[in-house]
Amino acid sequence: MRVALAQISSHLGELRKNLDLHLETIEKARRGKAHLVIFPELSLTGYTLMDLVPEVALDPARHPVFQKIVAASRTIDLVLGFVEERGKGLFYNSAAYLSRGRISHIHRKVFLPTGGMFEEAKFFAPGKAFGTFATSFGNAGLMVCRDFLHYGAGYLLFAGGADLVIVISAAPGRGMTAGPVFATSRMWELMGEAISFFSTTFVIYCNRVGFEDGKAFAGGSFIFGPSGRRLVKAPETEEKLVLADLRLDDIRAARKKWTFLRDDRPEVILRSLERIIGDDGD
Amino acid sequence: MMEIDAAFVAKVLCAFIREELHKFGFHKGILGFSGGLDSSVCAALAARALGGKNVLGMILPYKDTYSDDVEDAQALARKLGVRTRLIDISPMVDAYFARYPTEDRKRIGNKMARERMAILYDHSIPEKGLILGTSNKTELLTGYGTIHGDMACAINPLGDLYKTQVRALGTHLRLPARILKKAPTAGLWPGQTDEGEIGLKYSEIDAILYELVDERRPAEEVIASGFNKDSVKKIEALIIRSEFKRKMPPIAKISARTVGHDFLYPYDRNR
Repeated sequence: MRVALAQISSHLGELRKNLDLHLETIEKARRGKAHLVIFPELSLTGYTLMDLVPEVALDPARHPVFQKIVAASRTIDLVLGFVEERGKGLFYNSAAYLSRGRISHIHRKVFLPTGGMFEEAKFFAPGKAFGTFATSFGNAGLMVCRDFLHYGAGYLLFAGGADLVIVISAAPGRGMTAGPVFATSRMWELMGEAISFFSTTFVIYCNRVGFEDGKAFAGGSFIFGPSGRRLVKAPETEEKLVLADLRLDDIRAARKKWTFLRDDRPEVILRSLERIIGDDGD
Repeated sequence: MMEIDAAFVAKVLCAFIREELHKFGFHKGILGFSGGLDSSVCAALAARALGGKNVLGMILPYKDTYSDDVEDAQALARKLGVRTRLIDISPMVDAYFARYPTEDRKRIGNKMARERMAILYDHSIPEKGLILGTSNKTELLTGYGTIHGDMACAINPLGDLYKTQVRALGTHLRLPARILKKAPTAGLWPGQTDEGEIGLKYSEIDAILYELVDERRPAEEVIASGFNKDSVKKIEALIIRSEFKRKMPPIAKISARTVGHDFLYPYDRNR
């Protein structure tokens, strides 16, 4: 299968402009013979929304902009980020997997970074679940940015039988290093390497670029194979559509070698967690 | 870490200048160009980001107090292909102090900084350009700048770099040795230097700021790790005392939704 990582820079608070950007990028990926295009976190709206959240929130089943993207998924699978409104007035930082002109799965960001430069929990409601779902390429699981840095989330997708872990991100670069990358870029790759190896899955990470209010989104999107080998890495901070070919047979090959999935004991994990939660005296 | 990969930082800052200006529909940058290190680095970055002809370096001396600096600025501008405009601010400043005389060097210095700000902002209209700030992280944290004067700008590419890092960037950008070696000065009066006025070397100030701010270590711990106690205390006091220069002024909250409190939009709203 061929994956396209769309390392784009969205327009803050501009659904229509971002719709055009998505459709153009999808067209480019289609010409590049990609089967799946991954867009970054909140790709349809931009990231630093604050009080713009209710203004760009949408119901994916009904909103005309979202429906245009759903229609574009008839011949190519898509993952994108958007602000989802459920019921009336509950807003989520969501990721959708679209395929064959339908919404296959929606993941709502569970871990909303709030502290330091981040204030997501001021504006979003937290999601409550990590789940896997079937795609034409195998079982997939979605995460949004900070979700990925909580390794329990990675475990849940592993235990749920994910073959592809797809992470969409709007991670600003922070901290200097001796080389031409932000210090935080290593953090994302570290988790990518660990999760791909110990879960024997592909890890596909798409981060955005561009600036919002002085923050530089770091790009550096990557894919790790199920043996923990990095297959592709997009440039730091530059707009780019990266195409990569994945050999899905590598999943089976990795699981023959390392039987982490066969040997997993989710019931032990669950019982232990229940005990830990029960012990919580606060 | 304190060390920077100057080529990477230059790339990020050039993209920042270009993208922020373009988002707001501008193609030109204007800056106060003293011929000192910060404004020279800013001019070089802007020239790289926007093209020299889209950068206007405003050289704004008071009489001929700093003729060497003016020459340095002009020479660098030629090298960078940056346009310059030279305006002597002494008639405006002198006119004011002729009516309201003072010997207070701080008042005179602040007036000059604000006069320059007023000229920059005035030129931003006919030039259709935005003001590029040149205050570095050391100045912003210690409050070593004139509020609504040299601190005023539309965007600031240098505000997260300590003075010593700005110098490393200047070396990477191949600025003339004369500029790189210059003793930093706010130019408030002849012979003034930042280090002389603060009473500490920039290398020491920056190292202490890095520990207090970037590493977020308590002052006692920084002192215990070997830094001079008086220097650490002095810098900590400067940071606390200058908070107002880094914030929008507080607005008295009356209504349910108030600017600066809970009317929360990004600067780059709908861009």
